[in-house]
Amino acid sequence: MTTATATAGARPGGARPAPRLLRRLPLHLVIVLLMVVWLIPTIGLLVNSFRPPEALTQSGWWTAIFSPSQFTLDNYAHVLAQSDISAGFVNSLFISIPATVIPIMVAAFAAYAFAWMSFPGRDLLFIAVVGLLVVPLQSTFIPILQLFGPKGVNIAGSFLAVWLAHTGYGLPFAIFLLRNFMGELPREVFESAAIDGASPVTAFFRLALPMTVPAIAALAIFQFLFVWNDLLVALIYLGAQNPDNKPLTIVVSNLVSSLGGGWQYLAAAAFVTMAVPLAVFLGLQRYFVRGIVGGSVKG
Amino acid sequence: MIEPTRTSWTKATAALAALAIVVAACSGAASPSGSVAPSQPAASTPASSAAPSPSAGESLAGQSVTVIGTWGGSEQDAFLAMVKPWEEQTGATVKYTGTRDLNTVLTTGVASGVLPDLAGLPGPGQMTEWADSLVDLGGVLDTATYKAETAAPLVDLGTVNGKLVGVFIKTAVKGLIWYDPKTVDFSSNPPATWDALQAAIAANKSKVTAPWCLGVESGAASGWPGTDWIEDLVLRQAGPDVYNQWWQGKVKWTDPAIKTAFQTFGEVVATSYGGPTAVNATNFANAGDPLFKTPPGCLFLHQASFITGLGAFATEKAGTDYNFFPFPDINSQYAGAIEGAGDLFGMFHDTPAARSLMAYLVTAQAQDIWVKIGGALSANKNATDYPDAISRRSAELLQNAKIFVFDASDLMPTAMNAAFWAAIVQYVQHPDQLDAILADLDKTQVDAYGQ
Repeated sequence: MTTATATAGARPGGARPAPRLLRRLPLHLVIVLLMVVWLIPTIGLLVNSFRPPEALTQSGWWTAIFSPSQFTLDNYAHVLAQSDISAGFVNSLFISIPATVIPIMVAAFAAYAFAWMSFPGRDLLFIAVVGLLVVPLQSTFIPILQLFGPKGVNIAGSFLAVWLAHTGYGLPFAIFLLRNFMGELPREVFESAAIDGASPVTAFFRLALPMTVPAIAALAIFQFLFVWNDLLVALIYLGAQNPDNKPLTIVVSNLVSSLGGGWQYLAAAAFVTMAVPLAVFLGLQRYFVRGIVGGSVKG
Repeated sequence: MIEPTRTSWTKATAALAALAIVVAACSGAASPSGSVAPSQPAASTPASSAAPSPSAGESLAGQSVTVIGTWGGSEQDAFLAMVKPWEEQTGATVKYTGTRDLNTVLTTGVASGVLPDLAGLPGPGQMTEWADSLVDLGGVLDTATYKAETAAPLVDLGTVNGKLVGVFIKTAVKGLIWYDPKTVDFSSNPPATWDALQAAIAANKSKVTAPWCLGVESGAASGWPGTDWIEDLVLRQAGPDVYNQWWQGKVKWTDPAIKTAFQTFGEVVATSYGGPTAVNATNFANAGDPLFKTPPGCLFLHQASFITGLGAFATEKAGTDYNFFPFPDINSQYAGAIEGAGDLFGMFHDTPAARSLMAYLVTAQAQDIWVKIGGALSANKNATDYPDAISRRSAELLQNAKIFVFDASDLMPTAMNAAFWAAIVQYVQHPDQLDAILADLDKTQVDAYGQ
């Protein structure tokens, strides 16, 4: 898009593009600089993931760039040789996908109702949902675990428990984002649909949902990353009861002993874990910017 | 953003399909939760459990025991190697989760009733708090054998109100002084007193960069290697009575006994390799690495017995490359005092498989497997399969101690312990602020023990 407009603008004037490029140069320099600064920790981690532990303790990662001969794949070999790493990978996917789909489905219904259906107490309910955004999830562990435990519905240790927990933790933000996005959709669309005899259900599935896809995609990225990277929620709802269901994050944190031995494997493990979120992000990134500004401007 | 009707239909269908998959998956999840069922407390104790021996048998085949502990990496491998013979013998399986958030998991677990069958316990303090949820091991273990094989102070530490609720699966001796015999060999004539130690330092000054190696960095727990120093000094300067009253909150931090220990530690920090900044920035596992440098960076490292599995120690050879002597006595009145630590284990669910595993874990046969792998000492006197003379000597030190105390910081309330760690880091950097640091610890003490 930008290249097209630049070349189009170049034709009539001839002298104009140069100052424009010059004007934009500082901006580009700042952006490149910010990107480099932003990426440095990740680059350092990547370099360190290929270094042997002796080298790690003796010198900084930047020194390794000039002596690449010491690079080794041992860390990756050790991480991938863990017997439970593949099970952890499958478990992570099995936790993350439903824990992304369920809250978004529920949030989309709720957002539609909050945006386009009038019922008593609507605003009060919405305020309550938004208020839940500030509840720290750590404070909910004991009451929810009691409910999930043997004295309650007895699902602690099963995938269902983690799905429901993540759904609960993800919903306030999901509803908030989707409601604001759906509220911006043109009123005329829904009015004409109602005149043509469309029920709220039809209007939701055939109008509201398709028009909200960018926001949903952005939300899906957020929620997926949150669940994929989560250690604590999985540990609380699965860990003590059923180690068979443990996700990748628990497997990776177990590479380190209680006294901190084996930390050199963490950098390599981080990149193994990062592979899937990176793929999700790159796959959905064209929706990302569009979605994140969704609901920000009232028009 | 207006889409053709066709596309919106497809998308609606896709959404419904996704919902259908979720519903299907939810109903599928009934089976994992079903497999948890055997780990629930047994309604009545089966007759077979009257004889708590690992050979109790075939009836356990197919059952599982959930275990949670702090062990990860090589420790996890060692623990799994330790339970393997039991698994083969009984046909039951051990499902282990390791996490360093053990305290969080068990605190929420005890409050909500969602607990593993067996669990490592963060320390004697928490064990006492959870005593009501823990199963009395008196009827699970062969108590007479356990008491005969285990050092009495360790048995006492696992007992709350006459109920044995915790056993030590592995132990460690704190406060050993490690050295490289290739630099100076102290094996025939180890410094027995603090003054002799100072004389040894003065005599060998020219051979090393600094007398002491010290590193207190350990992530969120940074400072703990320094707390071991303070504890060793308090124990030997002021004696076990002051030591015990101190962790119980009955001796103030501003008490001269504690302050003297901090000041002695300050002298060590001042003469340590790299200076105060290096002390705070060096991970405890690598703190001893300069011992093995040429020329040697330092003469001594003060650390617990588990250091042999960490840092440069892991690759150096016991006896020829490193050796130790016990922390020298300071006040002759308290000669032969030893500080130890260890990993407690308790039982939350009284199932036949859990009983059998618990009884097996404390036997010399099981303990030998872990001590042979290294990095751990056993509380069991009959576990003697140590990989080298160094480990065997430290185990004997623990079992034959005249005065035995448990790691004070581990016995303190969590808030006090964390403040103690932080105080070490602050004191290393700013030794001149000692009075203010100790006064702050006094304030924490009032709050931490108040509950």
